[in-house]
Amino acid sequence: MGEVLLRLERVSKSYWRGAHELKVLNELMLDVCAGEFVVVWGKRGAGKTTLLRIAAGLETPDRGQARFEGGDLAGLSETRHASLMRERIGWIRRTGPQIELPILDYVALPLLAMHRHRDAYARAGDALARVNVAECAGQTWESLSDGERALVGIARAIVRTPSLLLGDDPTGNLGVREREAVLELLRALAEERNLGVLMTVPDMPEMMAAHQIRALSAGRLLAPPEPTPPDNVIAFRSRERSA
Amino acid sequence: MSAKYAVLGLVIEHPGYGYQLAQRLEERFGSSGFAPSGVYSALDQLSRDDFIRSAGEVGAGPARRAAPRMIYEATAEGIDHFEAWMLGSSPAPPLRDELHMKIALCRPRNLSRLIDMVYGQELACMGQLRDLKQMAGEEAAGDSQVWSRMMRVLARDAEIAMWQARIEWLQTARELLERLREESPRSRTPDVAGARRTGRLRAL
Repeated sequence: MGEVLLRLERVSKSYWRGAHELKVLNELMLDVCAGEFVVVWGKRGAGKTTLLRIAAGLETPDRGQARFEGGDLAGLSETRHASLMRERIGWIRRTGPQIELPILDYVALPLLAMHRHRDAYARAGDALARVNVAECAGQTWESLSDGERALVGIARAIVRTPSLLLGDDPTGNLGVREREAVLELLRALAEERNLGVLMTVPDMPEMMAAHQIRALSAGRLLAPPEPTPPDNVIAFRSRERSA
Repeated sequence: MSAKYAVLGLVIEHPGYGYQLAQRLEERFGSSGFAPSGVYSALDQLSRDDFIRSAGEVGAGPARRAAPRMIYEATAEGIDHFEAWMLGSSPAPPLRDELHMKIALCRPRNLSRLIDMVYGQELACMGQLRDLKQMAGEEAAGDSQVWSRMMRVLARDAEIAMWQARIEWLQTARELLERLREESPRSRTPDVAGARRTGRLRAL
């Protein structure tokens, strides 16, 4: 894996329901490296969306820091943060455009203000082709299947070539084949583009394609324990000790 | 459940000798807890029932003086028997768990130890998921056929669904037990594992 892109350092966040404090994240630690696909699983209400919003700098933690490429997200000006969200952090949306427009336009939209239209459309076409839905370019959101919508959402998120990709349950409502295709694609994108991908999911099968898996519960992230060494290693060590 | 039908299914997929079948059983159903020795008793039983037969032998393995290995293949009766099993209904698994019983019979003074046990089981479940993930990655790399890949994914999903249900229940149990411990002064005993979890151990 590459260098650390995103670091959550002892991040805590609470919400208040009247007089009751609801600790959503409690001294949470997480690193996402370049080229790494990280999946966080949690039950409904476990704090997955809050975690992602803090990772994107859309919310500030009560305590601790969310650092992106070494800089504290909470310390950014609004302009700098907006520029970061435009260029370095991609968010996979599951909702389509508010108005009816061709998918190619929808994917090209984030680029139109910054690039020549011809370039923007060429890049949007490339992004759609990369996620295997080039044939959807002329269709509208309403005419797409759930699987195609998930892939178009990824195309729109990567069209600006971000270094970190965030997704809140991007495989929700998908069948098994479509889900597997999306997960394999996200892992492949992470590896081939040296992209950090952080995704939250409510179901555990979605963790199977990830490089790193975590379970979010009671505000903390649980990692799998280190695998136990094979028996022959233990035998070798014990002989060594007795020698 | 014995390894009988799993072994018969593997022999139907592809004939093989005992050691090969034990390896394939481990690859496909590793976390189901079938003992490798169960393959040999399953092969004996399947032979006695005429569901499998010898299809020849292969030479000795790496140990030069080892006996030749018998290759097993399925008989027509074996295939019929397997098909009947495949189409028959499957019973629901029994829900018997030592931790359920411990929680049901727990007293306030046991709370801290019980919370640690629940946490330990959460970790163990995550370890099972990590192993499944690793196995799934290795299988996917060597399998280009859509049908067999999807069947593997479905079988894997069944196992994951079980671990997910288990972890969700463990999380719910731990949250409730921790809250009860906070409310119950009698149960406040030193919590070394809890301190380790939260990083407080360094300060102790």
